[in-house]
Amino acid sequence: MTRRNIDPVTLAVVNSALETIVDEMAYTVMRTSRSPLVRDVLDYSCTLCDAKGRILAQAKTVALHLGAVPEAIIAVQEEFGDDMAPGDIIVLNDPYQGGMHLPDIFMFKPIFIEGVLQGYAIVITHHCDVGGRVPGSNAADSTEIFQEGLRIPPIKLHDAGEPNKTLLSLIRKNVRLPGMVIGDLESQIATCNIGERDFVALISRYGADQLSDYLDELLDYGEKLTRDAISSWPDGTYTFTDHIDGDGFDDRAIPIVCTLKVDGDHLTVDFEGTSHQVRGAINSTFSFCKSSTYSAVRCALEQRVPNNSGVYRCMTITAPKGSILNPEMPAPVAARALTGYRVQDTVMGALAQAVPDKVRAAGEGGNTVICFGGYDRETREPFILVDMINGAWGARHDADGIEGVTNPAQNMSNMPVETLEAKYPVRLEHYGYRTDSCGAGEYRGGLGLTRQYRLLAREATLQLRSDRYDHPPYGLCGGGPGAPSRNVFWREGAREDLPSKVTRFVQTDDVLRHDQAGGGGFGDPLKRDVAQVASDVRDEKITPAFAAENFGVVIADDGGADPEATDKLRKQMSAR
Amino acid sequence: MSKSVRIAVDIGGTFTDLVLLRGSDTHFLKQASTPERPEDAVIEGICHIMRAAGVTPGDIAEVLHGTTVGSNTLLQKAGARTGLITTKGFRDVLEIGRVRTPDMFDLTWQKPDPLVPRRHRAEVRERILTDGTVLEPLDRDGVVLATRQLLEDGVRSIAVCFINSYRNPVHEREAEEVIAENFPDVPVTTSVSVLPEIKEYERTSTTVVNAYVRPSLSGYLTSLERGLRDMGIDAPLLVSTSNGGLSAARTAQKKPVFFISSGRSAGVVGATRMGAAVGEDNLIVFDMGGTTASAALVHNGELSRTNEYEFRAGISTPSRFIKAGGYMMRVPTVDVAEVGSGGGSVAWIDAGGLLNVGPVSSGAVPGPVCYGLGGDKPTVSDANVALGLLPAELAGGSLTLDVDAARRAIERDVAAPLGLDTDAAARGIADVANVNMARAIRAVTVERGVDPRDFTLLAFGGSGPVHACDLARVLDIRRVLFPPMPGVFTAMGMLAGDVERYSIRVYPTLLGQADFAEVARLVAELQDEARATLGEEGYSAGQVRLDVEFDLRFEGQDNEVAVALSSVAGELSRDTVRTAFLNAYLAIYGYVSTDEIEFVNVRLIGRGMREARVDFANVGAIADAVRERPANRRVYFASAGGWCETPVVDRQMFSGERTGPLIIESSDTTIVVPPGARASLDAAGNIRADLED
Repeated sequence: MTRRNIDPVTLAVVNSALETIVDEMAYTVMRTSRSPLVRDVLDYSCTLCDAKGRILAQAKTVALHLGAVPEAIIAVQEEFGDDMAPGDIIVLNDPYQGGMHLPDIFMFKPIFIEGVLQGYAIVITHHCDVGGRVPGSNAADSTEIFQEGLRIPPIKLHDAGEPNKTLLSLIRKNVRLPGMVIGDLESQIATCNIGERDFVALISRYGADQLSDYLDELLDYGEKLTRDAISSWPDGTYTFTDHIDGDGFDDRAIPIVCTLKVDGDHLTVDFEGTSHQVRGAINSTFSFCKSSTYSAVRCALEQRVPNNSGVYRCMTITAPKGSILNPEMPAPVAARALTGYRVQDTVMGALAQAVPDKVRAAGEGGNTVICFGGYDRETREPFILVDMINGAWGARHDADGIEGVTNPAQNMSNMPVETLEAKYPVRLEHYGYRTDSCGAGEYRGGLGLTRQYRLLAREATLQLRSDRYDHPPYGLCGGGPGAPSRNVFWREGAREDLPSKVTRFVQTDDVLRHDQAGGGGFGDPLKRDVAQVASDVRDEKITPAFAAENFGVVIADDGGADPEATDKLRKQMSAR
Repeated sequence: MSKSVRIAVDIGGTFTDLVLLRGSDTHFLKQASTPERPEDAVIEGICHIMRAAGVTPGDIAEVLHGTTVGSNTLLQKAGARTGLITTKGFRDVLEIGRVRTPDMFDLTWQKPDPLVPRRHRAEVRERILTDGTVLEPLDRDGVVLATRQLLEDGVRSIAVCFINSYRNPVHEREAEEVIAENFPDVPVTTSVSVLPEIKEYERTSTTVVNAYVRPSLSGYLTSLERGLRDMGIDAPLLVSTSNGGLSAARTAQKKPVFFISSGRSAGVVGATRMGAAVGEDNLIVFDMGGTTASAALVHNGELSRTNEYEFRAGISTPSRFIKAGGYMMRVPTVDVAEVGSGGGSVAWIDAGGLLNVGPVSSGAVPGPVCYGLGGDKPTVSDANVALGLLPAELAGGSLTLDVDAARRAIERDVAAPLGLDTDAAARGIADVANVNMARAIRAVTVERGVDPRDFTLLAFGGSGPVHACDLARVLDIRRVLFPPMPGVFTAMGMLAGDVERYSIRVYPTLLGQADFAEVARLVAELQDEARATLGEEGYSAGQVRLDVEFDLRFEGQDNEVAVALSSVAGELSRDTVRTAFLNAYLAIYGYVSTDEIEFVNVRLIGRGMREARVDFANVGAIADAVRERPANRRVYFASAGGWCETPVVDRQMFSGERTGPLIIESSDTTIVVPPGARASLDAAGNIRADLED
């Protein structure tokens, strides 16, 4: 590492200042956005990059977006080169030119001081609709990118402060809810401006040259902490395979294969052996595959590691061209988040072989996306509910998995039941923990969630993207898998079991229930603390039958554990 | 002699602070707190301070109180066993929460246990729709059965929250009646009685906090009132709310969730009044104690408030958009950002070689190294004493500080690993603490589109006056105020407070369709109500001040911007309200939309202006002894290149204008005036430091 003239105190000040700037950006999105998917569920992210496109800090939002930023910046720079000026705002969403999937609109504001580019304020927002064949633009069963909505290559939305009216009217015409989409674009603009204002203030305080030294140092610091961590992991090659149930067209399992090599202070992650790209829309851009890998590795590092590009330098990631993790045009990608989650699970599965105490058993497998889109019965106004169900963590080496929690890759929230009912012609009939869905273990996985919807509109298109139906979340070190997910549908009292991915028309009073997968367990279930098992039974998180079958704990009539019967049962079970 | 004596009592972790005001005499006392039975320290303190001031119980006109009983009950999880009755299908709303995590990528995180475990959350059949229609009537028998089971399980306080009750409270009220008929002794909190607003988790959580804290706060206040009566004090007891107002003790007994930050907020109110007394309308209020520092904003004479906050193990980070695993309360609160930096915060070097300060604190025990009570980790106070900023003895000579031990710890844990000398390392610790505290200030300024450079910093708390000038420099603030008695300023703040009443009317409509005759009617209705309730507490029309606000937002947004009726130029109409909203929005976010605007609420804050309120422009003599001080000591100032021979004066003896470096000491704190800053005394007894450009 180069030696710079670094004052440790100023270094801490600058690090803190960068975190404050991105958090302020994130707060602005939350306060000004329109779509419940953004303002309530928080499906967006904010970051700040230097002029070279290196990430300096990440807001506490959807982390999975941000690993894709470096490639997006390259796309912007290739398109515009030096043709950027103060007041420019650039947008893009094309997965084949810097984007991830079409609903995620990236916005960049280049930041200048006296004509010199200093960096970029960046906001990525998941818009509620970008056109295409189904409301919400999220369908898993599209077969080409052209069905998925409006593709935006890198274009200036503002040119030196002047709004690009052509682009705005084009967007307005191509989306189902133009008011909401434009409102959320305005929110992104406001946020870029806040990022610009604060980054300029920081640069002005220290001077561009001096600050640049500190930024370099912080990136090196991120790299150093990461290398220190990797060095402490046992050298070796670790392979792990996980699966996606199917692509929505057939239910053949789709393998994700990760070979992770720890070599001194460097990690190599290769996805050779992974499925070829698929017909349905769960192909993931390579940038998103890298992002998901970074996020899994980042989870195994200390909290103190700054979330900047320095971390990325310690990893080399490869995936075969034409695979589901590096698809070629015109593969559809709208539901690619699922694949990112599975990449994360796969990388963690490989890491668990090296450092089981740094990761966790598999969680719910990524959020379940449920979308009802249609038109109001009287006004013919369109509505699009995009609801995301999060989640459960797998167990840790020393603790149960958390339940009712975001996937660690995103830090999203949930849409309030009452907000959902007030805004959409849908009634929620149930939202709660799913009994017995945890994977057993000395530490059990978190319970999955159940959410049940009744449609009140005359008709709608239902899009459902779930997974972990045939391949439940894995346990670790003797822990059992979580319960697989289930989708149940009722029409006029008749029950139908649905597959994991669905697009279909539904009508008034149809009911859909999603039972989410639970987290995997960690360690031998027969070693689980008996009192803890009894406590879970008292809380009706597990049934007495589940306690006996999985943990060998016999619950007496008074609700407590029966020590003698438990001892006997556990002995029988361990003899098996 | 008529009743003319007022006493304010603020309970802190270490000390219970008392201020007694009689005419122009001010007495203050720091009494050791008694955490097991906090009322004991209050009663004992009142006895002592009455004796010192020579007053009798019959002289006392009112007792004002800020209590940490609510926050400690939450912090220590010492509340009543609480049951929750909720709509069938929604048993887990409380525990699921908003599913976020406070940090990213942290697989070691533990979600805090809910205040009501699942076994004590019962579902009953009932359903109200989003428009208020009853879909399914309340199962009254189900309520009785559920309550009976909960009581058998040892539950002592019950919360009731049903889906969509904010649109129609009928089932919650019915459930409350059914419980009262069958189980008359159990306290019931319905969600509509504390928060009739949309969002089931926020409402449930607020209701549950209320139910959980209610028995302990109620019991504490009952015991305190009894103690006061036994002493012969029959004056009313008023309690400070989280919003900085005062309220009758009986309100606090029923709705304790509005009193969780009682006390802390009173300091901000005091600062507002102090600002008004000396013509400072724009203040950053900075309070720094042993484990935390907090900041709040007074802008154009109005203090900044928020409608939602989260109680999280005593420390809330400035990242206020995270809802994660704290105990969420959606109640009006003075908008205070808090960080884990105080005099006791420990300095440490992380694996990457970066200097960190806090959030771990050495607390009162073992305390900083310099206290010699067994602490061996260098803290902010150790850095301050190593730099000569603090005297070698504290609290009037009761505690001698071990400067050498402090320097050795800093040398070992900070200076050596970083390759710095001890002075620079100590300075670094103080600087990093200042940067952390600056985050709290930025959270209440920059994050709101407000530039801290336009503000005066008002500093109090035991450690605040030591750091204030350096902190001001970090933020480019030019002026710092140190009020009289910074150590007990929060109690002073209560004496400066008003009785406050909040009320709200929901009026959801597009601004373009709003009927302003109806809005005017709602405003009048709220005003009549407020006058009537304040009238019952003895405030005549002339003593009542009513402030009206409208909550507006762009169509589809979730967060409103509050527009004060007083900021509406001209007659109340669609156009004037639109203009006021657009101006307010532009000021915060730097843009406005051309979209439709939604009108959401009319809100009213009614204040009973107490005649007896303390007037900071006219605070009389303070009973504090003048002590002999060394005339000079060596103090390290980085701005002056190192050690400076620095004059030390007693605050009571300070007069005129003097240029720093200068140390001003009193029995409760130390004011540091750095080189080049000019210190002077204002009419209200504040010391003012003007920093050079």
